[in-house]
Amino acid sequence: MQYMMLIHEDETYYAGDDAAQKMEATIAGHMKLIEELSASGLAWSGERLQGNETATTIRYKAGESALHDGPYAETHEELGGFYIVDAPDLDTAIEWARKIPVPGDGAVEVRPVWVEEQ
Amino acid sequence: MSEVAYAIANARPRVVAALAVHCRDLDLAEDAFADAAAKCLEQVDPPRSIAAWLMTAAKRKVVDTIRRQRAEARAIEGAAQTTEMADILTLPEPIADERLRLIFICCHPALAIEARVALALKVICGLPVAEIARLFLTSEQTMFQRITRAKRKVRDAGIAFELPARKAWAERLDAVLLTLELAYTAGYQDAGGERDGELSGEVARLAMMVAELLPKEPEALGLAALVLLANARENARVDDDGVMVPLSQQDVTAWDFEAIEQARLWLDLAAQDQRTGPYQVMAAIQLTHVRRAFDRQTDYAVITTLYDALFAMRPGPMVVINRAMALSKVQGAERGLEELESMDAEQLKNARPYYAARAELLTQAGRSAEAASALDMAIKLDPPRAERLFLERKKSALFAED
Repeated sequence: MQYMMLIHEDETYYAGDDAAQKMEATIAGHMKLIEELSASGLAWSGERLQGNETATTIRYKAGESALHDGPYAETHEELGGFYIVDAPDLDTAIEWARKIPVPGDGAVEVRPVWVEEQ
Repeated sequence: MSEVAYAIANARPRVVAALAVHCRDLDLAEDAFADAAAKCLEQVDPPRSIAAWLMTAAKRKVVDTIRRQRAEARAIEGAAQTTEMADILTLPEPIADERLRLIFICCHPALAIEARVALALKVICGLPVAEIARLFLTSEQTMFQRITRAKRKVRDAGIAFELPARKAWAERLDAVLLTLELAYTAGYQDAGGERDGELSGEVARLAMMVAELLPKEPEALGLAALVLLANARENARVDDDGVMVPLSQQDVTAWDFEAIEQARLWLDLAAQDQRTGPYQVMAAIQLTHVRRAFDRQTDYAVITTLYDALFAMRPGPMVVINRAMALSKVQGAERGLEELESMDAEQLKNARPYYAARAELLTQAGRSAEAASALDMAIKLDPPRAERLFLERKKSALFAED
């Protein structure tokens, strides 16, 4: 079963004097995870997103759309990236999701990808 | 309940667990079991091994259902009807014990905590939804939705039907034990003397099942012992007028000594492993209280020390309150009150035990006016009936002394 892991992080963690070091440490964590995933033989993919200031949202009101500058959710914990891992079950997926580095505040949501019945 | 119906109820946990693991679908396992149970009751000559008969009959039902779901309704109609119950093998096939897997599935930490025990009671114990709703003081519809949602999540989120790897046990077993503890506490408090210990009774059954299945996990044994010790005193918790009787004043002859002995054996077994934990300590505290039946007195110094250990492992307001009460028996009421003073009643989620404890110690210290106002505070905080009667009785006793 494919599981999508949505990474929500408080971007303000990466502000301040040691911002570059903090980001470097998190990226190193992701590189390590990617190495482990590749070595595991499981099918996977994942991407890092650009900051929420780059987001454009198409909002709908009764089907009518309008473009907005900014992300959809007005929270401090922004969607920053995702992985999709083909894991045998939820526990295995959670085990991988726990390896995603989130050094500050945030959340990783784990959701199975919809499977079309054959 | 007829003998056959009783045997069916007894066989249920093992058979449903084996079926669920076999077909990886909780609903299908339950339905197939219900179908097989109904057919079993119709048999003129009851089968020799009811569990094996149920397993075989239910497995056929599972196969039929899956076939029906998969193939064209037309092509299948005939095949499904060829299943004659009389065909069922009389040779009993061994049923693998899959109860542990089923408990791990039902109490999975990915399920909402309030859904876990409900799911376990439904799937493992076969309690009707209406009954479970009553036990949890909620509507049948709410409970039905909660259980349905939990089952759907097990299926759609791909919660494993495998036993978790040993290294993942700590977290998973903790979730199982916590689930049982919370449900048990809910049942025990609701019982609050109103003699509705059914939830605690059902949960105790599950806790003992876990202990039997995991005799090498000391905390599983500890929880089972704790639950058993509380259940052993069920008949002494309320007097004939429906008033709560505190543990130290209970009539020991009303205790269930067979249950106490079993709990003691489990704690001994747990201790051999030398991995102590909060459930073992809590059970040890209860066991020390129970020794009053043999020693005619309670060793509160030991109890205080055990509460110290418990506080180190699992600090919390109830531990502080209970420790202060034990300490007061050793060093006097004023000393106990000092301990209570350190707490902030405003911040207690449930401040009733705090005021009840204060009232008790103030009474012992002869500070009647303060004791009366502490009792008033406790009574205002909506105690269960038996406890309210107990607090009111204490209050009138205070004034009788004046």
